Amino acid sequence: MSSYQPGSVQTRPYVDPTPLPDDIPKVQELGATSGPLKSAAFFIGAYCKEYNEDFMLCKAENRDPGHCLKEGRRVTRCATNLIDKMRENCLSQFQEHWSCLERNNQEYYLCRKPERSLNTCMFEKLGLTKVIPGTPQGQKPIHEVENPVFKAIQK
Amino acid sequence: MPVPWEALIPFGLVTVMFGISGTLLNVSTKAQNLGKPIRHNIDNWDEMMMRRDEQLTGHRRGQRDDPVPPPGFETSSVWQTEKTA
Repeated sequence: MSSYQPGSVQTRPYVDPTPLPDDIPKVQELGATSGPLKSAAFFIGAYCKEYNEDFMLCKAENRDPGHCLKEGRRVTRCATNLIDKMRENCLSQFQEHWSCLERNNQEYYLCRKPERSLNTCMFEKLGLTKVIPGTPQGQKPIHEVENPVFKAIQK
Repeated sequence: MPVPWEALIPFGLVTVMFGISGTLLNVSTKAQNLGKPIRHNIDNWDEMMMRRDEQLTGHRRGQRDDPVPPPGFETSSVWQTEKTA
């Protein structure tokens, strides 16, 4: 085997420009990237709880990509709605928080200060709080602990 | 008494070489990551999100918080293909 063997994996990735068929209702996809989504994650969980749970239960029945399109459209629309509201009400705190996340490997524990201001703004304007499900009873959630053990090196 | 300044040349050389290589490494990584620090401990989820970020902004570290995606986003997914025949 000393001659050149062409591989089976194509080096040039393939882009399929065919859109979805017309009988599937169209939904506008969410144009936010990973940083803003991570910043808004717990608020999406609080605001869109029913739609998210519907989608996950539906997917638990069948993992086929074409199965839960209706519930998926609802999830997308709800998340888009929340991002619109966040930008309308708390734009500067939102952008401050996701810029901080981007500079810090998208870790929450390194960006507590912008997170606190975003949480207060979201609670005042939209009534949403960040809740970490699965926190043991009687223990303060990690984002509310004043002097955590794992923190940024510099203040 | 003449000061043995020739003995300090290796110290200076080593410092300069460390400095230059450190600076070049820093500049190179910052340039590849749009001025932000490198992302480490990337798992499959983060890899998938960064591929999506590339679809949305054109760079793996690019970020935008506009809820409206750029036109053509729905059909710009990149698929890896394999020749089987």
